[in-house]
Amino acid sequence: MLSTLASASSPVTAAPPAPLLEVRDLRVHFFVREGVVRAVDGVDFRVNPGETLGIVGESGSGKTVSSMSIMRLVPPPARNVGGQILFEGEDLLAKTPDEMEALRGRRIAMIFQNPATSLNPIYSIGAQLGEILRWHLKLSRAEADARVVELLTLVGISDPATRLRQFPHELSGGMKQRVGIARALLCNPSLVLADEPTTALDVTIQAQILELLADLQARLKMSMVLVTHDMGVVARMAHRITVMYAGRVCESADAATIFNAPQHPYTRALLESMPRIDQSYTGTKRQPLPTIAGRPPNLLNPPPGCRFHDRCPEASAECRRLLPLETTIAPGHSVSCLKRGSEGIAA
Amino acid sequence: MSDAILAPTAAPPRAPGIWRQSWYRFRRNRAGMIGLCIVTLVVLLAILAPFIAPYVPDDTSAMLRGAARRPPSALHWLGTDRNGYDVFTRTLYGARTALMVGLGAMLIASVIGVLIGGIAGFSGGLVDELLMRFAEFFMVIPVFVVILAVVRLFGIVVVGTWMEDIPNLNMMTIIVLLGCFEWPPIARMARAEFLRLRGAEFVEAAHCIGSSRRDILLRHILPNAMPPLIVLVALGIGGAILAETMVSFLGFGDPKAVSWGQSLFFNYEALKVAPWAVLSPGAALFVTVLGFNLLADGLTDAFNPRLRQ
Repeated sequence: MLSTLASASSPVTAAPPAPLLEVRDLRVHFFVREGVVRAVDGVDFRVNPGETLGIVGESGSGKTVSSMSIMRLVPPPARNVGGQILFEGEDLLAKTPDEMEALRGRRIAMIFQNPATSLNPIYSIGAQLGEILRWHLKLSRAEADARVVELLTLVGISDPATRLRQFPHELSGGMKQRVGIARALLCNPSLVLADEPTTALDVTIQAQILELLADLQARLKMSMVLVTHDMGVVARMAHRITVMYAGRVCESADAATIFNAPQHPYTRALLESMPRIDQSYTGTKRQPLPTIAGRPPNLLNPPPGCRFHDRCPEASAECRRLLPLETTIAPGHSVSCLKRGSEGIAA
Repeated sequence: MSDAILAPTAAPPRAPGIWRQSWYRFRRNRAGMIGLCIVTLVVLLAILAPFIAPYVPDDTSAMLRGAARRPPSALHWLGTDRNGYDVFTRTLYGARTALMVGLGAMLIASVIGVLIGGIAGFSGGLVDELLMRFAEFFMVIPVFVVILAVVRLFGIVVVGTWMEDIPNLNMMTIIVLLGCFEWPPIARMARAEFLRLRGAEFVEAAHCIGSSRRDILLRHILPNAMPPLIVLVALGIGGAILAETMVSFLGFGDPKAVSWGQSLFFNYEALKVAPWAVLSPGAALFVTVLGFNLLADGLTDAFNPRLRQ
């Protein structure tokens, strides 16, 4: 009774808001000739309203597959074999294909990695962006054009009325990515998925696009899932970070905690292997850049125990035997590591 | 705010899309332009044949006047053949048959080919495997033997039934058969293109926008798959015309149709006496097929993005 009164009087310190997106125990497996590849094997993460979640991990850690499965667009031979994806309280995995079609692009939108290939070369910008509005919101051509111009202005494209009539090949890479962002925002989605949105761009353009995304995210109070392998990008963009390794989540926490007080050995190793501006890697006093020895396990027949054990400096005998479960070690900070108090199951 | 942006740019110039760009490149291609001119000319002559031709195509009155196998004269510009037909008239009307065969056969082939190839490429897996083996089955059948056999058998079967009254039944049989055997190359190309485009990021983007499957196939994949298919069809038209000529030349053509192959068949024995009767349809055939091949050549270059400047 007392606690309800307290929370009512001070909403700032109230219990965390209901998450916009909650992924529970997601499992996506690839059924190939050689067997079953467990690309995503029991992943949990959540995105709160108005928050950016960064999903980091190396290639093959399952981060892209996780984000595609939110759209229910995992390509065959991959299949969703378990878990729940709760979006605004509804389980997306229980929806019909028609319901998903109505939802994609309208309530959940996606920003793609390569702007050069993610726009259809034969339609003008206005035609392919307007199509979405006419399809989802049943706008007239003129209304759609006006909305597209509005969005192109929002993403910082000069002379949007001219761009409307231009084709993708006439725009620069950075501009195409801005168009890609505008396309994602057309219907005011509550969740935007961005899969490596800057990887295909020049470094200078990358900075501009990240700035634009951060700015839009703050202004439109939208929620975003940012999938990347670049720690620098998440440091700049994400409020919360989920670190993935070999199809499982290692650690989830707010960005400051991940960078200042990482708990999982993999997170630590990942941060240590980033080049630092205050270190010299050349000359006589050089130190080698730390790396993580070994390579990620083959997910076709993952070894028993913790997925990271054979590269982990702290691994013990039980790490080879028991698969750690995600454990909350502080409010909003969870870790899957036997050495940090996680429970283990034989798997 | 948006008013201020919309106002200054009242009429932005429309930038060239893929088709217009290809047209720019096509225009610079000499062979292609020559091909286009030839094809246009043939099409015009075929359409205007009744107005240009000095005689009715079935007019054999020269024979009665004893004027068969006459060399070119003011009365018969390209001479007359052994049946008393006016060669110029027959050659003009032959263009109609040739175009009908070429376009008709390739229309049938394109529809079958794009359907089968598109389904195979888009579905993949077992469906793809089965459809492509089916296409290969059609590729190894000797088309000519089948056409000759079917035309002859069909001609006999039909006698005495209502189908006998259908005009140009033999010709239509040939067109349909050609269409039914010319589709595998188109299907294979369509499959390759659909397979490539199925994985393209903009198609994935279209999925993420919420486009329906039908929309993705018809609006995103098919238009992008068109360029190489158009080249194949242009080449195929020439091939189909040649094929019909060969069938007719062997005497299996439609006796009522005015076709170049038919003229060659009627007159090749009189080659030494009245060469004009053979040379005119032969030359017309050569030029027409050349025109379509040059056109296809030009289209290949026009659609090739590597030649983009």
